[in-house]
Amino acid sequence: MTLLNVPPTRNATPARLNCPEDCRTIVARDIGMSYKLGDRRVPVLRDIDLSVRSGNVKLLMGPSGSGKTTLLSILAGLLSPTQGRVELLGENITALSKAQLSRFRLENIGFIFQGFNLFPALTALENVELALDLRGIRGKEARDRAQAMLEQVGLGDKASNQPRDLSGGQKQRVAIARALVARPKIVMADEPTAALDSHSGHAVMELLRKLAKEEGVTVLMVTHDPRIVDIADSIIHLEDGIIQGS
Amino acid sequence: MASLARKNLLEDIPRFLVAQAGIMFAVVLVTVQLGIYRGFLKSTALIVDEAEADLWVSSEDMVYFELTPSLAAENLFEIQGLDGVELAEPLLLPSAQWHSQSGQLSTMKVIGFDPDGELFQPWNIIEGNPEQLDEPFSILIDRTNLRPLDIGGVGEVADINSIPSTVVGLTEGTQSIASSAFAFTSLESALAYSTTAFSTSLSCQSDADGNLSCDRVARRVPQENWADNRQEARTLQASDTVTHVLVRIENSANLEEVRAAIESAIPGARALTGEQVAERTRLYWRDRTGIGFTLGMGAALGVVVGVVIVSQILYSSVSDHIKEFGTLKAMGASDWTLYGVVIEQAMWMAVTGYAPGTALCWFIAQWTASSMGIVVLITPLSSVAVFGITLAMCVGSAFFAIQKVTRVDPAIVFKA
Repeated sequence: MTLLNVPPTRNATPARLNCPEDCRTIVARDIGMSYKLGDRRVPVLRDIDLSVRSGNVKLLMGPSGSGKTTLLSILAGLLSPTQGRVELLGENITALSKAQLSRFRLENIGFIFQGFNLFPALTALENVELALDLRGIRGKEARDRAQAMLEQVGLGDKASNQPRDLSGGQKQRVAIARALVARPKIVMADEPTAALDSHSGHAVMELLRKLAKEEGVTVLMVTHDPRIVDIADSIIHLEDGIIQGS
Repeated sequence: MASLARKNLLEDIPRFLVAQAGIMFAVVLVTVQLGIYRGFLKSTALIVDEAEADLWVSSEDMVYFELTPSLAAENLFEIQGLDGVELAEPLLLPSAQWHSQSGQLSTMKVIGFDPDGELFQPWNIIEGNPEQLDEPFSILIDRTNLRPLDIGGVGEVADINSIPSTVVGLTEGTQSIASSAFAFTSLESALAYSTTAFSTSLSCQSDADGNLSCDRVARRVPQENWADNRQEARTLQASDTVTHVLVRIENSANLEEVRAAIESAIPGARALTGEQVAERTRLYWRDRTGIGFTLGMGAALGVVVGVVIVSQILYSSVSDHIKEFGTLKAMGASDWTLYGVVIEQAMWMAVTGYAPGTALCWFIAQWTASSMGIVVLITPLSSVAVFGITLAMCVGSAFFAIQKVTRVDPAIVFKA
């Protein structure tokens, strides 16, 4: 399986990152989140403190409605918490403007979604190239890098296929290639194995773990999937918006 | 990288074709309305534009080229004698009645000119022999007037103010949309048509000091007497009237000086350049009729229809791809990157709707010109202007789609 034999593409030195606070890439302090319902506020997250070290794979687990996805959205800078602060790579992202946050995500975070979120009108290669295009990398360089990334995830021969012509596992691998092609320092994944069979799910997890260990990428992942627990460095259990254990 | 905007647009071909049909309709409506408007205005002053005169001498009370009091023919001879004038030729524009052989009655504007002159000649003669205009009561008419005048073609005869007249040739693209049918004929024939319907005389009085003052009096001859009053073609005399005097100045002469000399020599006359007469004519038709407003409304309606259609298509396209926009936002794309996608889509729609729309307009213009003589004036400049309007229309239509994109919550990406 190609995924399990991915050669490192660059200097595999985890220490290359500028490690803030003892290489803690993700730090959340006293995060709280609530929604207004009528004239009262419904808490979704309470007193969340967590940190993830660079090169680690951390799982966010818990039952449906426990606040996992909301917490992931806050840590990714897609949602603003009603209290607390989030530091990514030493930057307090809760203090950034919307435009600054977009820029920060573009430069530092790769996303993998449960529903793949590929662009159906684009080919697999174009989907991967898009992540580079957003960063201003275009033309032959972008094409070559996107093709190389597709080959790394075992889809070199599917570059010209559109998402509708790919299986679920192949779509997720394209999504992973898109998340990684711009070499982000953090990868945030929401149920990346939920739509995959056991074999594909395991392959995807191996790929993410390899990336974390060899390239120092920090991986934070929301999952229900008990099959991948053994691949994680640490696990956070969330229930009713509160961390129950890690 | 392939354009996401273009690929999204082409992903749903039926919807794309509906959008293109809407934009095509808008382009055709705007182009044709503007073309008719501009063609109409141009056609009203075609005679002026085609004349080779440096100056047109007309009554100072001229409203526009066809609606003007006459000048005394003696003024023609006076102008010919002025310094700086190389050539002066009369132009007669009497109105007349046309009776076809089957008895159909039409109004007509006779254009009387010197067939051997240099300052005005009919143009675009497509059939017949213009030299036969030297024969009395020979006329040229525009091809598109054959049916309205109930006449078959060259060689056929009809009555103009009760005078049997022969069609000796046909022209093309010479008719004003706003005027009665033109009949080009010699000065002598035009004079006869004119004096059959009107008799002119000089009425002179002497005052107490013995000074003589004369007025020219024109009286309409009752139509039942036209046959009895039928005139022979004859040369212009000082006691006749002309509508305009066309003037060519000498190469060495100064236009303003000649103009001043003419106006000074002939009280009650104005000397204007051809451009000024044409402009006055076009302004008359634009401002004193509802044509500008009516056609402008049609063009505006085309733009409104285009905006509604493009807005609706873009909005539904954005709605269908809202999760993709959310994904782009989550990945860190700036708002302007997202606006760029929507605006690029709008621009593709503009381009792909404009091209076939304009091609259709060219066909429509050819057809109306050849079958009805109605000029739908489409020039490279007007085509560029309509393209600009189409682009502005489509990009402006992206407003609501952009509003929707702006409000996309990037957190929707985590909803499966």
